[in-house]
Amino acid sequence: MTLLRLLRRSRRARSEWEEPLVKGRKAGILILALLLASTPIILSYTFLVVTSFANTIVFTPFINFKITWTTENYKMFFQGKLSPAAGQVYSTKDILTFIANTFIVAAGVTAVVLASSIPAAYAISRINFRGRANLMRLLMLLHAFPGVALIIAVYFIYIYARSPLYNALRDLAETGLVSKSFLASFDLAYSFFFVIVARASLEIPMSIWLMKGFFDRIPWELEWAAIVDGASRFTAFRKVVLPLVKPGIAALAIFAFLAGWEDLIYVYVFLPEMTLATFIHNQLSGGSLETTYLPVVAAAATIYLVPTLLFFVVTQRLLLEAVWGGLKG
Amino acid sequence: MVEVRLSRVTKRFGDVYAVREVDLVFPDKGFTALLGPSGSGKTTLLYLIAGIYRPTSGRIYFDERDVTNLHPNERNVSIVFQNYALYPHMKVFDNIAFPLKLRKESKQVIERKVMEIAEMLGISQLLDRYPSQLSGGQQQRVALARALVKEPSVLLLDEPLSNLDALLRIKIRSELKRLQKDLGITAIYVTHDQSEAMAMADKIVVIHKGVVQQVADPDTIYNKPRNVFVASFIGNPPANLLRVRVSHGNVPCLRLPGDLEYCVKDPIISAKLSALSTEEVILAFRPEHALISENPVPEYVSMEAEVYTVEPLGRENIVTLIAGADTVKVIVPPVVKPKPGSKVYISVEWEKVLLFDPATEVNIEYLEVPSVEVAREANPQWLGADEREVDEVGEA
Amino acid sequence: MAKRNSKKLALAFFLAPALALIIFFFIIPTLLTIWISFTNLYNWKIDRVKEFVGLQNYKDLIYFIQHDPDVEKVVKTTLVFTSLTLLVNVLGGLALAIFAYLIDERVSLSFRLLWILPRMTPIAVFGLLWYYFFYGSELGTLNSVLLRLGVIDQPISWGSDPSVQPWASWLIIIFVNGLVGVSFGMVVFYSAFKSVPRELIVAAKVDGATTWQIIRHILVPMARWHLVFVTVWQLLSLLTTYPHLFVLVEWGVVDKNYGTTWSLYVFLTAFSKAVNYQALAAAAAVILVIIGAILGLIVLRVMKFEEMIQPPRGDV
Ligand SMILES: Nc1ncnc2c1ncn2[C@@H]1O[C@H](COP(=O)(O)OP(=O)(O)O)[C@@H](O)[C@H]1O
Ligand SMILES: [Mg+2]
Repeated sequence: MTLLRLLRRSRRARSEWEEPLVKGRKAGILILALLLASTPIILSYTFLVVTSFANTIVFTPFINFKITWTTENYKMFFQGKLSPAAGQVYSTKDILTFIANTFIVAAGVTAVVLASSIPAAYAISRINFRGRANLMRLLMLLHAFPGVALIIAVYFIYIYARSPLYNALRDLAETGLVSKSFLASFDLAYSFFFVIVARASLEIPMSIWLMKGFFDRIPWELEWAAIVDGASRFTAFRKVVLPLVKPGIAALAIFAFLAGWEDLIYVYVFLPEMTLATFIHNQLSGGSLETTYLPVVAAAATIYLVPTLLFFVVTQRLLLEAVWGGLKG
Repeated sequence: MVEVRLSRVTKRFGDVYAVREVDLVFPDKGFTALLGPSGSGKTTLLYLIAGIYRPTSGRIYFDERDVTNLHPNERNVSIVFQNYALYPHMKVFDNIAFPLKLRKESKQVIERKVMEIAEMLGISQLLDRYPSQLSGGQQQRVALARALVKEPSVLLLDEPLSNLDALLRIKIRSELKRLQKDLGITAIYVTHDQSEAMAMADKIVVIHKGVVQQVADPDTIYNKPRNVFVASFIGNPPANLLRVRVSHGNVPCLRLPGDLEYCVKDPIISAKLSALSTEEVILAFRPEHALISENPVPEYVSMEAEVYTVEPLGRENIVTLIAGADTVKVIVPPVVKPKPGSKVYISVEWEKVLLFDPATEVNIEYLEVPSVEVAREANPQWLGADEREVDEVGEA
Repeated sequence: MAKRNSKKLALAFFLAPALALIIFFFIIPTLLTIWISFTNLYNWKIDRVKEFVGLQNYKDLIYFIQHDPDVEKVVKTTLVFTSLTLLVNVLGGLALAIFAYLIDERVSLSFRLLWILPRMTPIAVFGLLWYYFFYGSELGTLNSVLLRLGVIDQPISWGSDPSVQPWASWLIIIFVNGLVGVSFGMVVFYSAFKSVPRELIVAAKVDGATTWQIIRHILVPMARWHLVFVTVWQLLSLLTTYPHLFVLVEWGVVDKNYGTTWSLYVFLTAFSKAVNYQALAAAAAVILVIIGAILGLIVLRVMKFEEMIQPPRGDV
């Protein structure tokens, strides 16, 4: 043990322990190979962004179209025009609503995931209770549950509960407990609720594992110190433990946000024609390259991609650790 | 401020008994050390008193109040953890103020008390820093300040000095002791370092494998160890142990290496040895209580031995010898430098010799032999408490 | 007494939200799906959920598998897609992790990030990238490249030309899902390699081991357990994943049947505008759940899960 620790320390001191295994020309070849393997990824993303600034598809490198660089595609997108020739299909307000809706779903998923999985992860990490082991096993199983088996039933409930709920609310509106304007937008709120909560639920098992990993790393003594100092379990959680898992909360929030942001299936089912994902989907399903003006779709996709890329640049290592962290336990 | 009393307290983790059937009293305003090797159950015992752990069985009292099932925050105890457990996201001021804030004290009161305690511990200039910006010694003081600011009835300290360097340790040791006396707090101090326990404690509780081995003041622990474990754990180097044969004539005689014999004149010990009538006893003596000479010393317990090595330490030399089948260490003045390989005699005054029953490993002095009137220790309660523990070891 | 209650209260507070979601969005839907699979629910006529048909849906499924060429294709696609993508994801992930481990850490960081980008990219966007690429006229990137290189003289409709089916469709779905899935193995293996004590590697180097020998005899054996774990886990994911396949099929990038796996078949059967037979979809989903549960239990075994369930300390 001590020997190992000594070795570790000496390793920190001596940089050669940290050096890569392969150096010089061989490393160059390896990096080149990696680069080559990565070309599909690099090129495809580049093509997309480049096309969004061009008057034609830049995906087709050997066809001699005259390429003009332009921001016209973004303008058209925001005007709701799907091609230079066509008229406005959507209003600018529609387009902004798509973006806002996508954002609402992502933010909602984030909120639901954070609010439910942080306390649950804390309990599993810190409190001994009957059924804890079984709960952990269950979470592990749900982690890999076929989501498609759920969405049928969830949609069933969605339809099944809609009118009784609406009627109940209408009765309440009569008594004045619920505002009439809320009733008017009931359908929309109801759909958003289902998208958000159902999509968030899919993330819950993994999120609890991820957060549990972060809680596990907090020394027990800190919490005990707080409790001996006179704190209740809640206070110790709020004042001592929670501030210390901020990086974990950040990682979780980013993951949840991206999960809500990238989703297509749930918005396709519950909020068709209302988000960026379904906008792109509608342009391509049924259409063809000859009839769909792709630069505008590329502009929409690029805008859709921006938050993802932003999180990428900002969080880097956190992201890599978290992909695995949720499983490490 | 309170007396802490444990009554047959057991704590089990799965199959492991971390603490087993412990009866103890920590006197009011006393400084009691819990001394034992690593893994002996010291921290567990401390956490039981704090309420972090619940006993598997047994009860814990603060004075007459049964606190066994009370939440830690209902016990008014403080802990200084081994790793200090300072809240890393709070400044020193907020760390110290935390217990007061939880009590919803007013801002002025909090400010005043934190300042007072910081002043007392000499950390006033650190209040604006974060724990990570402090040295080990400073962190230790902050942890102590946080523990003291709420004026606890019991102060629990879990190896608070073990992460500090040797010099600092000795300095803080005396400060801590003075502080405790000034504040009149009941202190329970966990350590695996016997010199710390000896230097600071009024009472020492020696614990091993979750079982209390002896409870006594430092002198008694040192000079009259209750059993072989205590004798071999305390002292640096610890006491020497030899198995010697006993011949039971008119008086029992110890047969020592080099065909030497010592017949026991002390009537009580003699009677106990006779009553015990074992073939062997374990003889122990402390390295600093022995002499090395060319010839046996009359009236002393003397034995022949071969010198193995001599370690000069400047102020003294430690001589390692082989006596019979056992290795023995003796501390001698620096001028004494016997040649390795030479035959010498080790002699110990009878009063300094300890004898243990090989079956129970209990010091014969403490043994209750039916036919013999045994002088009891001054405090029967303490003795009664750990006697049962020791007996149980014997049975196990 | 009060103590017990306060602990229960704390537990209820901490666990209630997550448990509620799990019950309402996992447990109840699963039971409901099983229920629906015994009814005659179609076109979302919800009253039909009371119409029991016994095992009819399951019998239908078996009949379709045997006699409906479309469903037969789906089953074939599922088998080919799952096994080949699994191979790509595990071996590709291993190769990427090894490469990344061998080179300088900062350089490898950019590569590792690049490779998890597909996993984080919105599904519609990622689908779009490959829509362009595999487009069936000379406008598609692949076609234009092959035309220019003279490999072909007519653009090929990868997704619909019968002469290149089923493999064109299969390769496309394997490629697209492989790009998304391979990063999982990469991340897991890389972190496994990173936890191999550096002493072992340096000692091997001192003994004169080549880089290949180090990989072969130290790194890969040390990641043995991870290899099993990633394989089972990926198998499970591949059986249950469908969003990327959904866009590829719906946008006509691949053949409708040779691009559809069992999961997507479930989804399309329940939700597509044409067919729309929820009861049948539910029965197909139940089969998936059973397979998923079995694989999940294997994962629990493989992960030495019991060791991870250490009880928390303290009794407060
Ligand atoms: N939470 C726990 N779970 C299981 N075993 C424990 C736990 N805490 C302590 N132990 C065991 O109890 C024994 C005593 O531990 P401890 O009180 O920490 O000893 P010490 O503080 O004297 O070093 C050890 O054998 C230890 O492994
Ligand atoms: Mg300890």
